[in-house]
Amino acid sequence: MEPLERLLNLVGLLLETPTPLTYEQIRDTLDAYRADNVDSAKRMFERDKDQLREFGIPLQLVDTDVWGAEQGYVIPKDEYYLPEIAFTPQELGALLVAAQSGGENTPAEQAARKLLYGADGGVLAGLAGGPLASGSDARSVLVIDAADAAQRRRRVRFGYRTSHGQVAERVVAAYAMVFRGGHWYLVGHDAERDDVRAFRLSRFTTDLDDEGEGGEPPDGFRAADHVQAGPWAATAQDLAEVAFSPDVAWWALGSFAGARQTGVDDDGWIVADVPMAEPALLASLVLQFGPDAVVRSPEALRAEIVAQLEAIDG
Amino acid sequence: MAEKGRVSPPKTAERLGRMLVVVPYLVQHPGSSIAEVAALYDVKPEQLRRDLDLLFMSGLPPYGPGDLIDVEVDEDDRVWITMADHFSRPLRLSRQEALAITLRSAELLATPGLPGAPALASAIGKLRDALGPDTAGDDQAIATAESGRPAAHLATLRRAAHGHERITIEYFAGSTGEWSTRDVEPEEVFSAMGNWYLAAWDVDADDERLFRADRIRGASSTGVRFRPRGLKGAGRALYTPTGDEVRVRLALRPGARWIAEYYMTEDPVERDDTTLEVTLPAAQVAWVAGLLLRVGPGARVLSPPEVIEAVAELAHSTLARYR
Repeated sequence: MEPLERLLNLVGLLLETPTPLTYEQIRDTLDAYRADNVDSAKRMFERDKDQLREFGIPLQLVDTDVWGAEQGYVIPKDEYYLPEIAFTPQELGALLVAAQSGGENTPAEQAARKLLYGADGGVLAGLAGGPLASGSDARSVLVIDAADAAQRRRRVRFGYRTSHGQVAERVVAAYAMVFRGGHWYLVGHDAERDDVRAFRLSRFTTDLDDEGEGGEPPDGFRAADHVQAGPWAATAQDLAEVAFSPDVAWWALGSFAGARQTGVDDDGWIVADVPMAEPALLASLVLQFGPDAVVRSPEALRAEIVAQLEAIDG
Repeated sequence: MAEKGRVSPPKTAERLGRMLVVVPYLVQHPGSSIAEVAALYDVKPEQLRRDLDLLFMSGLPPYGPGDLIDVEVDEDDRVWITMADHFSRPLRLSRQEALAITLRSAELLATPGLPGAPALASAIGKLRDALGPDTAGDDQAIATAESGRPAAHLATLRRAAHGHERITIEYFAGSTGEWSTRDVEPEEVFSAMGNWYLAAWDVDADDERLFRADRIRGASSTGVRFRPRGLKGAGRALYTPTGDEVRVRLALRPGARWIAEYYMTEDPVERDDTTLEVTLPAAQVAWVAGLLLRVGPGARVLSPPEVIEAVAELAHSTLARYR
């Protein structure tokens, strides 16, 4: 008998049994464990059991009666079976495409395959021409481990390379994962700094070591607040007036979150109101356009830009 | 035979895992074809056939002829499975699988312009409701912050890539700051690092090119069809050096260190005073000059002289606008 056949029979037996079965009862039922050598049959059963559990099959050893005199094996149906989930075809298609965006045979793809079983026809047709993505820059195993730690509020230890280039060890009570600008961040309480910090996963130099229980985030905690926007994003109430040359205007206006065109000059330059969170940040975003962008107001921002340019111009 | 099964080869685990998800699909979809199911579950048709051959040896006690799973494959390779009620639903998602698909979806949902984003978001919601936050994570533990720019012509690009149609685009090259009108043959639209990209054959340049979708201002169809060349999309490097780059040596202070991470840089040397020196291969001198202007005092060009001059000149001409 092939091992696969034996395992399938064992799963079926323990799923359908009305009461937990002792090893002896299993052996009496399944020919496969009735080998001549009693010890080797038992060892084979132990290995099969471990293999099924490694696979995530909830094979359990429980008391067969209320007195606890004897124990038997069972696979509880409510823990084994995927619950019914009423996905629409669009939802299922979106999940499949999302799962495939990370490469082949990843855990995400395995997950999507399990969800397929109840799909209406036409799922295959829906797969063609969907969006594809490379996702993030971090190793997917690390991303999953970190999300796991955040969800279970574990304390983790890992090596981390700071933006200053130094590598150091960090111990962090994991709170949440945030995806921003193509990067995953782990947000949590940094023990040494006694403060909430965000750590970019692509800068982790080691895997995660579990250090035990972590803790709950403070009231009103919002993970995304702790992840700095890149040097290219801005949101704010104060407005600056900036003029762009016709060459860059279309692209530039799209670059500034919340920018709004207010007029056109005689020479074709586009004038716009641009939200200004941090003057230094806006200055650098305007400067990337060189002589194709000019700040008209406020005066403080103009002065900042002139000072920066004079430092370079010498 | 039992002795031979002493150490279950890893293949057994793989096959078991497949059976526990393929059989429920076949039970729910009587008459599916071998080819269709093989494609859906990424398994070779012969392997699927071998798996099914084994399946009907298994069943439930007392394993009489009426207790075994019944597998029927007709002459058109269509499959019917009966007597397999215990395998009519798949094994629950493991924690790792559930988190993986939730995380992957969160990545995609953070990119503006994802087709089917509402469907994906509601699918993840249903999955979390069904499996519980302990398995699939919750909103607080896995968050996204939308970033990047929406692209105006994604639908047109996707249609062209799907239908193999040559299109004319108006493109803003970030490296030169110039607009150009180009005929391109789109092969794949994909997102990476929060932006959408188009992998296409550039007819004018007679070469493969990668275009940032948010920099395409106009896209119009030409009616010309093309034969796809199989250009790689998702997973490719976003920048492929040609060897003709200007090698710019930069000194980066802490505020400008992101340059070393964001762009492909070489030969990093740490200086004692927290300055990092790197070499940035750049296709366009004008682009590096713009970058340097943007970073301001955080970065300084060490060499070559032509780039030092270009930065000073750009600063000078920009300054003239303020006087």
